[in-house]
Order: sequence, then C-alpha cells, then structure tokens
Amino acid sequence: MSFRLKRSHNMAPSKKKHATKEACVIPGGFTVLSLQFSSDSAARHFLYVKEHKVRAEKSSVRPLDRTLFVLNIPPYCSESVVKGLFSQFGSVASVELSDHPGSPQESGPKLSKVFRPADKQGFKVGYIVFESPSSIAAAKSHPHNDPLVVSTEQRPVKTGVQKWIQQYSKSFIRPDKLQLTVDSFMQDYDKRKEEEAERQRQEVEKQQEDEEGWVKVTRGHKGAKARPHSEAANKRTLQREKRKKSRKELMNFYTWQHRNTQKEHIAELRKKFEEDKQRIALMRAQRKFKPY
Amino acid sequence: MKKKQRVTEEPAEMHPSDFSDDDAEEQHGEPVKAKRAKANKEEEEEEVVYHPVKLSRNDLYRPPTAEELHHLKEAESLFHCSLLKMQMEELLKEVVLSERRKQQIDSFVKTVTKLLETVPVSPEVEVSDLSWLSGAVKVPCLLVPKLTKGKFHMAPPASIDLIGSYPLGTCIKPNVKVDLAATIPADVLHPKDVLNQRYPRKRALYLAGLAQHLKSSSDIGTMRYSCLHGNRLQPVLLLTPPGNSSSFIVCVHVCPPPGFFKPSRFHPQRNNIRTEWYTGLQASRTESSEPPTPHYNSSVLGDLLPRAHLQFLSAIRAQCPAFSDGVALLKVWLHQRELDQGTGCFNGFLASMLLAYLLVTHRISNTMTAYQLLRNSLNFLASTDLTVSGISLAKDPDSTAPSLAEFHDAFQVVFVDPSGHLNMCADMTAFTYKQLQHEASVSMQFWDDPTVDGFHCLLMTPKPMIRTSDNVFQLCDLAKLQASCKKQNLLSELMDHSGNYVRTALPFLLSLLQQGLGQRIHLLTHSLSPEPEWSVESEAPKYKAQPPLSFGLLLNPELATSVLERGPPADSPKAAEFRRLWGSRAELRRFQDGAITEAVLWEGTSAYQKRLVPRQIVTHLLQLHADIPESCVRFIGTMVDDVITTGNEVPSTGEEESLVVVQSFDDLSRKLWKMENLPLSITAVQGAHPALRYTQVFPPEPVMLDYSFFDREKACKSLVPKEGTPCPHYITPITVICHMEGSGKWPHDRTAIRHIRAAFHISLAELLKKQHNYTCRPCPTHLDVWKEGLVFRIQVAYHREPQVLRESVNAEGLLVLRDNEEAQALEMATIHKPLLTSTLHGLQQQHPCFGAACRLAKRWLAAQLFSDDVTEDAADLLVASLFLQPAPFTPPSSPQVAFLRFLRLLAAFDWRNNPLVVNLNSQLTAAEYTEIKNDFMASRESLPVMFIATPKDKKLSLWTRRAPSVQMLQRVMLVAAESLKVLELQLMDGSQTQDVRVIMRPPLDAFDVLIHLNQKQVPLLRHAVDPPAVTFSRGLVTDGAGQAGGAMPVIDYNPVSLYLTELRDAFGDLALFFCDPYGGTVISVLWKPKAFVPAPFKTSQMAARSVEVAGEEVKTIPNIEAILEDFRVMGKGLVKSVEARTEKWTF
Repeated sequence: MSFRLKRSHNMAPSKKKHATKEACVIPGGFTVLSLQFSSDSAARHFLYVKEHKVRAEKSSVRPLDRTLFVLNIPPYCSESVVKGLFSQFGSVASVELSDHPGSPQESGPKLSKVFRPADKQGFKVGYIVFESPSSIAAAKSHPHNDPLVVSTEQRPVKTGVQKWIQQYSKSFIRPDKLQLTVDSFMQDYDKRKEEEAERQRQEVEKQQEDEEGWVKVTRGHKGAKARPHSEAANKRTLQREKRKKSRKELMNFYTWQHRNTQKEHIAELRKKFEEDKQRIALMRAQRKFKPY
Repeated sequence: MKKKQRVTEEPAEMHPSDFSDDDAEEQHGEPVKAKRAKANKEEEEEEVVYHPVKLSRNDLYRPPTAEELHHLKEAESLFHCSLLKMQMEELLKEVVLSERRKQQIDSFVKTVTKLLETVPVSPEVEVSDLSWLSGAVKVPCLLVPKLTKGKFHMAPPASIDLIGSYPLGTCIKPNVKVDLAATIPADVLHPKDVLNQRYPRKRALYLAGLAQHLKSSSDIGTMRYSCLHGNRLQPVLLLTPPGNSSSFIVCVHVCPPPGFFKPSRFHPQRNNIRTEWYTGLQASRTESSEPPTPHYNSSVLGDLLPRAHLQFLSAIRAQCPAFSDGVALLKVWLHQRELDQGTGCFNGFLASMLLAYLLVTHRISNTMTAYQLLRNSLNFLASTDLTVSGISLAKDPDSTAPSLAEFHDAFQVVFVDPSGHLNMCADMTAFTYKQLQHEASVSMQFWDDPTVDGFHCLLMTPKPMIRTSDNVFQLCDLAKLQASCKKQNLLSELMDHSGNYVRTALPFLLSLLQQGLGQRIHLLTHSLSPEPEWSVESEAPKYKAQPPLSFGLLLNPELATSVLERGPPADSPKAAEFRRLWGSRAELRRFQDGAITEAVLWEGTSAYQKRLVPRQIVTHLLQLHADIPESCVRFIGTMVDDVITTGNEVPSTGEEESLVVVQSFDDLSRKLWKMENLPLSITAVQGAHPALRYTQVFPPEPVMLDYSFFDREKACKSLVPKEGTPCPHYITPITVICHMEGSGKWPHDRTAIRHIRAAFHISLAELLKKQHNYTCRPCPTHLDVWKEGLVFRIQVAYHREPQVLRESVNAEGLLVLRDNEEAQALEMATIHKPLLTSTLHGLQQQHPCFGAACRLAKRWLAAQLFSDDVTEDAADLLVASLFLQPAPFTPPSSPQVAFLRFLRLLAAFDWRNNPLVVNLNSQLTAAEYTEIKNDFMASRESLPVMFIATPKDKKLSLWTRRAPSVQMLQRVMLVAAESLKVLELQLMDGSQTQDVRVIMRPPLDAFDVLIHLNQKQVPLLRHAVDPPAVTFSRGLVTDGAGQAGGAMPVIDYNPVSLYLTELRDAFGDLALFFCDPYGGTVISVLWKPKAFVPAPFKTSQMAARSVEVAGEEVKTIPNIEAILEDFRVMGKGLVKSVEARTEKWTF
C-alpha cells in the first residue's frame, strides 16, 4: 500500500508562484477555486472551472459563451446550492449537475420526479449557465485562496441526520397526486400509441400504390404491418432446420459408422483419463492430498 | 486484508493463494508481503493452472493396446471414474513413509537395541525395595496397594524385536510409532506372578531399569513414559532420536518370554486379583467366589502375544498384495473420525486384524485392490454388530479357550485373536463400536452417491466430535467419578480395572444416559481418553489429571426437543423402573386420551429452551444416579446460540418471532387473494424476505408506537423522525411479491408498466384500507402495509416485464433480446427471491434448526463485516447445503453444530476447482451434477469466484455474481478458519477465560480510518455483539401487542445504512467501507492502494482530488484532508468522531 499524503494540502502547489490575490490556473486551462463546507472548516475541496467549449455539441441548454464547466462538486452541493455559490459571479440562469462530463442525456417522455430512478450521490460535474458572458471571466479570475463557502448562515445546507429526516419526509407522495400523475402519463402514453399506430397505418397506405401504379405486396392482412422480425424467431427457425436434417441421417447403419462410435468411446475415455490426470496434478500442486 | 497484523504473524496459516491474479495482490496491500514470502519458498513449484485438455487427433484415435484398454475399463467399472482411483493413489503416496525416514528409523532402532543389550545385571532385591533405582528415573506405575511378595533384579532383555505396524509395513504418517518389544528374561519372573498385579509391577520396574540405563546415553533424545491403551499396568517407554526433529517415536514395550504363562489362566471368568489383597481387608472368600477379572487378564495376556500376531499378519500380507495399502486407507479413515487413538479405540492393529479376518473367511479375495479392501471392510463393519455376534480368528482353538458366549459375558465388544484366548476389543465400549458402525454405514451411503465427492468425504474430511455431534457435554471434575463408582457399588469392576475409576464408571454412565435419552438420540458417543504421556523423571499422573470426558449426542430432531417424557401406565410393572430412573421428577399425569401414566415434564417454552431439554435430562440423571453435581457437567450444545437470542421474558433465538411474522404474512396473503374489484386478478402472493423463511438474523417483532415521540406528516398521515431525538426503532419492511395476471391490457413499454404498477399499488391500498382498515402507503415502486405491528412491503409484479426490459429494436429493425442489469435485478426480485424463500421455508419444515443455523451464520458474517460480500441469500444457500449434502456428517440437528460446519465449509471448500451444488428439493440428477461440473470447469475464469449452483440456476450462480471478490473471499476463508479454530478451542476447553463471542469481534487494527458513530443514532444498537449498557428510548410502547390503523410509522429509516450508501457513492472508488449492520457503531474504512497513485488530470476522474503541477504536467491525488472532513460533514449528527490512523499509512 503506497500512496503519498501531503500533510499541508489545503493549497494547490502552483499557488506558490502567484501572488495571494491571484487566480490559480493550471495547465489545461482550468482555474482552481477552493471550496469549504462552512467558514470554520479546516479542509478545502478544489473546484476546477473552465468555460464550456465543445465543437460538436449544438445544444441550446449550454450556450457556449455563457456556460461554465465545473469539476469536482461535492455530494452535498445540490443544484440550488451551486446556484447560490456561483451567483456571486453574476446571476445564474441554470445549473445542471451530472455524474460524468458529456452531452446532456436525452430523456424520453418527461417523467414525474417520483418515477425517475434515484440519483447517485457522488461527486458531480456541473454546467452553470450565467445570464451574461462576463460572469465566466469573473469566475475564472476568482482568487484561489478566497474559498467559496457552501453552508452559511443565510443559506444553511442540511447534511447528515437532518438531511435524512428531510429526505424521508419528502419521500411521501399523496395517493391522489400519484394517481393523477399515473393517469396523465397513461393518457399521454395512449395518445402516443394511437399516434404511432396512425402513423404506421398511413405509412402502409402510402405504400399501397405509388405514382406509377406499382403496388408493393406485403404479407398479412391489409393494413396490418408484418410483425418485426425478432432475433429469437430467427434462431428458432435455424434450429428447426438443423433438427430436421439430423433426423434424416441414419446412425449405425454402415460398418464404418459402428466402428467410429467405438473409436469415439475409447477416445472419450482417454480424454476423460487425461482430464482427470491433469486435475490430479493440479490438486497435488495445491496440496489437496494431505489428509491431516 | 483487514487483519494484516495477524496475517503477517501467522503466515503458516495462509494457504497458498488459490486465485493468483495480479489484481488480488495489488488489492491486498500488506498481506501480500506475507504471501510473497511464502510464494518465494514455493517458487520452484510450477504454477499449475487448469486448462481444458487438448489432445491431438492422433493421440485420441490411435489403436489402443490391450493393457491400456484394461486400464481404462477398470477405471470405468471399478471406480466412478479414474479420478477416484488416482486420488486414492495420491493419498497413499502422502501417508506412506519415505525411504529416507525408514533409514533413519532403522538406524535409531539399531542404536537402541545395542544399548538395551548392555543393560547391567543388578543384584536381586525384594520388589518393594526401590533403592537400586537412582532417583533420576521413577517407576511408571501407581504402586497401590503395596506389593509384598516377590524378588526382582535387572538383566539384559532375552530378546529385542520389532513388532506392530512398522515391520508389517502398515505404519503411516502422522504419529509414526515404531514398536520395539524387549523380552524380560525368564529368571526375573515367576509363573505365579500373574496374581495380584505382580507381573505388571515387575514389568514397570523392568521398564524403569531400562529407562535408567538409556538415560545415561547421548544417543537418545527425549524419553517419556506412556501406557498402552491407557492401561496403567502396561507402561511403555517413548524414545525419540536426539535433535528436535522428532518425526517418529520408538516405543519400547516389555513382554514376558513367549509361552511363559499358561493362556488358560487368563480365561475371562477367572480371577487373578484377590479382593483381600486389593482391599487390604480380611475376607473369608474362597477362590471360586472371587469376582472374575477379565480386563486384567486380557491386559497380561496381550503382552504374551504380539510376536505371534505379527507372524500371523505377515503371513496374510504375503498372500494379499494390496493388504498394506488397504490397512493404510482404513487407518486414514479411522484417524479422520478420531477412532484410532485413546483407550478402547479401534486402532491400526485392529484394522489389520479385521482385514485379515475378512481375507481368512474369504469375504474378500487376495487379488482385490486397496480400494475394494476398504470398501468391503466398511461394508462388513456397517452390517456386523460385534457387540452381539462377536467374531473369532482362531481356526481350531484348543479346548481351554473360552467360547464366544463367555467372551460376550465379560466384554462388550468381541473380536478374538488367532490364539483363541484374547479378546482384542476388550477395552472397547459398545458405544464406541456403535459409533464405528454408524460411521461405516454413513460412509457406505455416500460412497455410492455420484453427487458426492466420495473421496473427499471419506478420507479427507476430519470429523472431530464437536463438529459431528449435535450436542456435546463434558464431565470436568473426573475425581467425582470415584463417588459414582462407590454409589453404584462397582468395587469388583474397579479391581478388574486396577483402580481406573474413569474406565470403570464409563460403561455405567453410558448405559444410564442411553436409557434416559432413549428415543431422543440416534447415537451416543464418548471421547476416548488419550494415552497419558509423562516424563521419566516424574511420577505417573493421577487418573483425574486426564482431560475431561466428552460425550456426544446425535439427536433425533423429531423427539429430541419434546418436553414430555411419557412413561408406562401407573399400574404397569414397568412403572417402578421408570420411577427409579427418574427419581423425584417422575409424576403421575392424566392425558387427554384418558390414560394415566408416569411422566416427566421438562421445562421449556421457546425452541431455544426446548433445545436444552437434553441438558436437563443429562444433569438430572448424573446428579441422581452418579452423584455428579451439575457444576461438573459442561454442556456445549447451545453456547453459541446466545448471540442471536432476543432478550424478552422468555429467551428465544427467533423461531417464535419468525412464526408470528409468517402467520401474519399468511393472513395478509389470504386477504389479498380474496380481494375483489381489482382490474386484473392476483395470480400469486409470494414472500421474498428472509423473515418469511425463518432466516432473518433478528426477525421483526410486532411493535406499538409512542406517537408523541414522532413528528407528523399530516397529508399522508405518516410519522416522521424528530430532529434531536434518538433514531426511532427500526421497522423492517417485509417484502411480498404480488404477481398480477398477464393480460393484453398490460402495456408493452417499460415506463408505462411502471406507471400501471403504481396504479395497482394505489388501488390495492384503497381496498386494503376499505376492507380491512390497514394503514397503507402506496409508492410508485411498492406499497407499505402496516399490519399488526409489522410492515409488509407489497410489490406488484408482471411476469413479462423482464422480457420487455430486455427487448430493444436494433438499427435494422430486428427485435433483439439483450440481457441487462435492470432486467436481471427485476428477475432476481420477482422470480428468484420468492422461489428461494418458499424453497427454504420448506427446508425449515424438514429441519427445525435450519433457520437458527442461518441466523448464526449470518450473524457471524455481519459481525466480521462480510455481510456485503456474502449476501443473505448466498449465506442461506451455504447453510442449506449443509443440510442437503451433509456427507460425511449427518444433517445437523443443532444450530451450533451447523454453524461450526458452516465455518468449516467457508474455510475449506475448494472454490477454485469446485462448484458448490445445492440440490434444493433434490431436483438435480447425477447427470445434471456432471453437467454443472463440466460447464463450470469449461468456463471457470469467467464465473464468480464463489460459485453456487441450484436446480433453477445451473450456470450463472446468481446469488454470488456481484460479490465476493477474489480478495474478499480469501479473507472470508482466512477469518473463517481462524474463527473455527478459536471457537472449537473455546467450546472444548472449559478453562478458557474468554467467552465465545470472541469470534464475533473483528480486529479493527488493520483499518486506515475508523468512523465512530453516535450510539443514539444507531437504531439496531441493542443487537450489537456486545450490547452497550445504555439504552435509548426509540418511540415504542412496551406493553400490549401491535395495533392496526393509526398513522404510518417510520419505516426502513436507518441513518447508518443511509450514511454508508452516501459514502460508497461518493468515495467508492477510493476506499472500502465496512460496518456491522446489526448495531455496529464503527464504520471501518480501508483505502484502496491503487487510488493513491498520482494520476494524470482527466475531467471524468476528478472526484475529491487535488492537483499537483510539475511543469506542464498535471497530476492528481485524492484530497485526503477534505475527504476526512467530508466524512464528518456528510454524517453530521451520526458521526461521533473520525479517527484517522495516519501512522498506519505508508508515505
């Protein structure tokens, strides 16, 4: 077990080169911001911030000039906490936290909160969208040794037992509200299903006759589209074929066939013998024969 | 890896790693060093890894030779497979003596012989005169009463010969003992010396003379006295060669010249010790009225015959080539069962004689292999009862030889030697023979079972009493047996045994206990008192200095725990006998069928107390009939059980509580079935929680709430824990799976199914509330029902949902099925768990102690911080395997013995090479076993390290797929082995000062950080291994049973587990977190060594790290100080202190 621990580690090393009131920028373009839980905390975490810059991404939720990319946000910083922390650099339009950096997740139909799977409560990366581009620069030039404070008197952050109790009481959902959510989702779902069916029907109708009078002939009744092929069905058909073939073959008909089976038997015994021998060798090597 | 300290101290305890990946080493940290050191030693040994055999076509299909064909055929027909044959051959190689060892023995024997031949002649003195002996050597005999008549002098032995197993070639490791017989010259003895222990005294004096002579020589290492078969009249001298490498012992016997005494003098009905001499009282008895002394007679006679026996056996061996190997196998078999040592054992000599008997009577033929010899002798032992129909090797005994009937009158077990005069089993008790017979028949049963690894069970598994017998008790103060002898008037027997009151009282005690326990037990066994050894300079030890006498009970589970002993009707003649046996406890009782009979009623209401009924019987009988006070009886049957007892008015180990839960569940299930007005009908209601199969460590108990203790959530009529008060009582939700009928109405979409399920939860809740007035709380994922002080968590399941989760449409529009975690988890929860629960519930019905055994096993796992690695279900399966596949034992009938075997299973099972097959409901056939094994071998590397197969899961080992890892399994094995060792010592040795809970206290010194928790916020505190003295109010009202209705209690709120989840989410890739879920107040943290290697800057791996800049290169390392601060912050209110043991961290 070997790792190094710097006892006096509440300062980034590159800090020494800079004057005290300067921002600390590390190679790679990230600015180091320090963060502490409360004003009397001894240890600090370090956030690494940079303007969000991605070539491929064309996303409306992360406008390139106004989005700050933040690494290493501790688990007790929820979106609202992060918003509060960064509003000192300018008003924040939105905050998005995720487990890994990357393009935002395309979620399907919008789900009610209670139906979403629980989030992992680990360290997060954040995308903070400011109202104005100038806030990015402000954040990036924030002096290193002036830590952001998570929990202050104005904005207390609950952790530990307090948080769990809060979490517990928030986990309740009134049955009638739940019923409403379900109903609205199912209505929505049915509507989508209907639309889908409608679309398919139209597609099929479209195929009925093209401009030149050709008709594409498909299997099944009129209107119903053939079921999608499934992998399992394919496999089953192949197997059926194979079985049919093997049934037709005659075993033990010719002398050579008989001889072959005998030969196979001996080969089988030999193989087993060799296998056993190896197993024994293995066990001997592991000293499995010492009775006591 | 946590026990670094211990590991390094005891490298010998570590088995060479079965799993030798690099990963294992890296993760292991400190122990690796120990392992490496070990590995270095073994570097010469080639690393052998199992690969599937690949033979070339030529090799496989070349024409076979006749010899090879014979070989293959033999392997196929004689043994299950050639594997067993080869295994036996390997085993024999391990136990036979090497040539080098034999040379050492031969040269040492030569030295000793030479020395003995030069014993100086001393002048003749009276026997009572010991002045010729220098004080350096004592006489190895208790010299009471005093001898008066006879002369004695020293002279060189008439002859010195090797006898016993060594010259016969049947001597095997361990305990290599070479017997050397020194013949006393005829002029030292007198033909009348047989009488009144004169011969044995002279024998002892002669041995002391030899010892005195040898003492002066530097060619002899240590010299100790011992005695043959524990008989003090037959002392022997144990010699080892100089130097401390005493790999063998030479044992010097002293014999009279052959034919010196007439064998007819030793007829079992003759008397050779006079009462007058023995008691020192004048008595007017004639010789004919003296009691017979069969045991004394046979001990003297035994000295006369060893050479004859050796000749006889050598002749037999010359005829049968496999004789020595057969004896060796039989000896190993006996040794594993602890039957080959101690007074009255079935030793190697008897094993040879037994084989000789079978050969002479043509029950086995001379051409048989060692394997067949073993098999036939076990078969013979299993089917022949030597306590009733003895056997004799004498071909044509002379007229003076006693008949078999006469032998049976004098001895319990009869096996007569070739001379026809000696019963070789004279010292054996009927109970030892019964044990032997039981072992043989159990062995025969599993030998033929193709699903059992016969070789391993037969010859490789040790069966110590504590792990074999369901209950064990010990008699601690053996001196008390003197009183028993007196009380039962056993004087003549005492004389026959030359004052050995332990041997004298033993048969009586055994038959008393057998009578008292009767139908409750299948078998009563006792430990064989070991042959004492003492230095030549000290006096022979007293009889009471022996280790305590242990008795083992093999219980009959149906009757063992019955509290009523129903005797004969009051007017029957047997009633008097019944009353005599039970004394004051016998009383007349009238039963429901109108009969009035004698009966004894024992105390016991809970299953835990009922398991103690055998103890009540044993202590009562011993007190009543043998004057052995209760304080001398140490009952070991239920010592471990108290770690899972719940402290109510009636101590219980959870059977009753589980039953309440199961009954409540049955009621709920009925009510669900009857439910009308549901859009779809219910097809099955299944329990999926350990409490519903009796295996929950601390089963949920119905509770009543103190409402003032909680805050309220008005809208949902629920209680909420209050800030600033201790954490409320933890209420376990009991999972119930409710399968709904399949129908076209179910949507074919994962999110839609989830919503429909939620709708079902809501409507079930409404119906339960309306029809039965249960407080319910529907959630999207489940429905909590508050019923009679318990909470059931109902989950609606739709059987096609896993299928839907697996389906996806690929780019070509083809519907493909892809397995994924979500589907697996769902199948596990809705299909496999309920099935396992009902199957194990069934097992509990067959074996009443199954549940308690699981609870003990899981308590241990949790206490040793393994509960996240060996999951509850896996642990239950492991315990189930002990009941379903008990070979070489019988199914356990007490939780403690099952627990010991569980530890042994964990410690000794060869997980690398074998799958553990748990044949639930006996659904698997032999062919399927082979299939499982073959599949396993073929893809070993990709399978879980701990592979458990069940009838419904032959290829995947569902329950151990995620955990344990290689490293953790190694650690589990190590700790299990250590715990087993410590626990067995604790149990068997009454002088240990620590309690048995010591195996439940894990060593914490190997961890890097300890997070101490605030006891107030640990809800399961009272279940801790060492429950603290302080208790906290947790919002319960103690009096009265639970009630329905009211507000929903706080369910499944456990700050410790919430905290652990958060810690693992945040720091799971940096450290491992361990905690005992049952009231552990410390979370132990172990840094992962890999996490502290400086890593390059990556945006995706920056969690809790700080950077170091060196030029243009940026490295990151974990920000430890901040992490430690986070431990405090995240567990605010729960964490008392964070103890960083920086001194352990290597820089």
